[in-house]
Amino acid sequence: MKKLFKNLSFGRVLIYLFLTVGAITMVFPFYWMITGAFKSGTEIISFPPVWFPTSFALTNFVEAFERAPFLSYFINSVVAMVGSVSICSFTTIVGAFAFSKLDFPFKNVLLALLLGLMMVPFEMIVITNFRTIIDLGLYDNILALIVPFTSSIFYMYILKGFFDSIPNSLYQAARVDGCSNWKYLWKVMVPIAKPSLVTIILLNAIASWNSFLWPSLAILNKVNKTLPFGLYSFVNEGGSRTELMMAASTIVVLPMIILFLFARKQIVNGVARGGLKG
Amino acid sequence: MKVTIKNLTKRFSDMTAVNDFSAVIESGELIALLGPSGCGKSTMLNMISGILAPTEGKIFFDDEDVTDLSPEKRGVGLVFQNYALYPHMTVLENICFPLEIKKVPKEERIARAKEMAKLVHVDTMLDRKPGQMSGGQQQRVAIARALVKQPRILLLDEPLSNLDARLRIEMREEIRRIQQETGVTTIFVTHDQEEAMSISDHIVLMKDGFLQQYAKPQELYDEPANCFVADFLGNPPINKANGVIKNGKIVLEGDCEVELEAAKNIAEGREVTLSMRAEAIIVGEAEKACVGTVEEVYVMGKEVLAYVSLGTTKVRAYIDAEKTFDKGQTVNIGLKKRGVFVFDKETGERLA
Ligand SMILES: Nc1ncnc2c1ncn2[C@@H]1O[C@H](COP(=O)(O)OP(=O)(O)O)[C@@H](O)[C@H]1O
Ligand SMILES: [Mg+2]
Repeated sequence: MKKLFKNLSFGRVLIYLFLTVGAITMVFPFYWMITGAFKSGTEIISFPPVWFPTSFALTNFVEAFERAPFLSYFINSVVAMVGSVSICSFTTIVGAFAFSKLDFPFKNVLLALLLGLMMVPFEMIVITNFRTIIDLGLYDNILALIVPFTSSIFYMYILKGFFDSIPNSLYQAARVDGCSNWKYLWKVMVPIAKPSLVTIILLNAIASWNSFLWPSLAILNKVNKTLPFGLYSFVNEGGSRTELMMAASTIVVLPMIILFLFARKQIVNGVARGGLKG
Repeated sequence: MKVTIKNLTKRFSDMTAVNDFSAVIESGELIALLGPSGCGKSTMLNMISGILAPTEGKIFFDDEDVTDLSPEKRGVGLVFQNYALYPHMTVLENICFPLEIKKVPKEERIARAKEMAKLVHVDTMLDRKPGQMSGGQQQRVAIARALVKQPRILLLDEPLSNLDARLRIEMREEIRRIQQETGVTTIFVTHDQEEAMSISDHIVLMKDGFLQQYAKPQELYDEPANCFVADFLGNPPINKANGVIKNGKIVLEGDCEVELEAAKNIAEGREVTLSMRAEAIIVGEAEKACVGTVEEVYVMGKEVLAYVSLGTTKVRAYIDAEKTFDKGQTVNIGLKKRGVFVFDKETGERLA
């Protein structure tokens, strides 16, 4: 018994050791990036490396902002994210509800078809999307970053799964009380599905914020670029000023880190809870 | 409100769940819709509430034909087996919800909801969420929510089957009390005969979508319309023995002749089922209907139960605690008038 206990605690130590190593591996690049943003040009290339920056002056950030329009990149990113995520969340909710609770002709065929479409990788749709955007006259327009992302089969399917787990008797009880489908969706389904929804919205927001391939194709002018694309151009044009790149990268990821810190509980809840207790 | 159901039929693609069902439910009564699982009780209830559209037939609330009326226009209150409370709302919000949809002013709906909460004794936990309440409490909230909009009829679909045995008895008395206090016409679905017997004014007994009998609980027990009804009610289950009518007597399998007044009018040679309730069989009676052999005697608290074989059939009978019988003893068996029935063996039709 004692021996077992000992083994157990030894195992624990191993696990924590493993987790610590994992955590450091994950966090270190971020640490390096953020501290790098505060280092001077000589500090960043010195060997042995400088672990802590000597000053926390924002000079690198200021310079990065001067060299490239990061503020407008940032605004473009926010506009594209808020636009696509809010519209996409709406279509996701409505679509999930329709597939989960309503009856209409060819429902299952349609769902199967949509799921089949999910198999097509994004890189393949890029070409058709590109044509569509040009035909719509939206090339090099911020709307080009919103329009193709106003619906998501994947998120809809995830949410449909959650909606399916909400007992039908809730729907019938509401119907008997005179609750319309619309009202039922927003007053009952959506609040119950909140944890899943928050997770979906966050994942979607992160994907939108980080997207690079599509903006790099659909956007031409500097004024319309988003942060990741802007950063890429900046790195290409800005040459070898590593500390400026670090500052610029920090600007790109900081909002997501803040978002995550605020919504951490929601994300974990959404992932852990999954189903609805009866 | 009086409910009239006329020739109601519901067919799903491959089966008929409710078959040519007709009944009249008097205003202010509590009716139990009783039957084994899968016999069409929920289907029936959902047609009355308007959730399901009948294939054929009509439903009237008083004199109004509601067959094609949508659920919200019928004024029904529904209570489900799994309570169906909105998990993200508090008790008060749950009870208020039907009124909110009806756009009742906020103050009025809160006042009415609180009044209902008081009626069902959940007024001390208005701020709780359903997840923080016991099954019985949740069920009370569900009843309050169904009643708050003052429905013309209250429908309960197996409202107690998720509760433990003691709570079930308590809650069924609660439901009876609430029903009596509000006077609302109520249909109560259950598969538990005891539940139905104990609280309802009338019982509708169903099987395979067909109405079997619609009567007062005691009448259902004393005068079953057919073999199924006799089987379904009573605990221990009714004793059954197959036999043939010969010279005005019933000859059970194993050559046991039973003399029964009621059997005299049944045609010679007809194959019958003799059904006897345990309390209708008197062991060791001078005035005998037949002769049997005592197989086993069980003492269960205040009651003594004997297993007696009549021919090849074993039956259960209650016996006097004072009388003692030995195993294997041959005894006279008397049959009371009440609790002894003869059915056609094939159709289950009542013959006597
Ligand atoms: N939507 C449906 N589609 C097909 N068959 C159904 C449907 N609903 C119920 N049934 C069938 O109808 C019969 C009666 O069901 P139900 O009314 O739920 O029985 P109960 O409530 O008495 O247990 C069952 O055999 C069930 O399988
Ligand atoms: Mg049922």
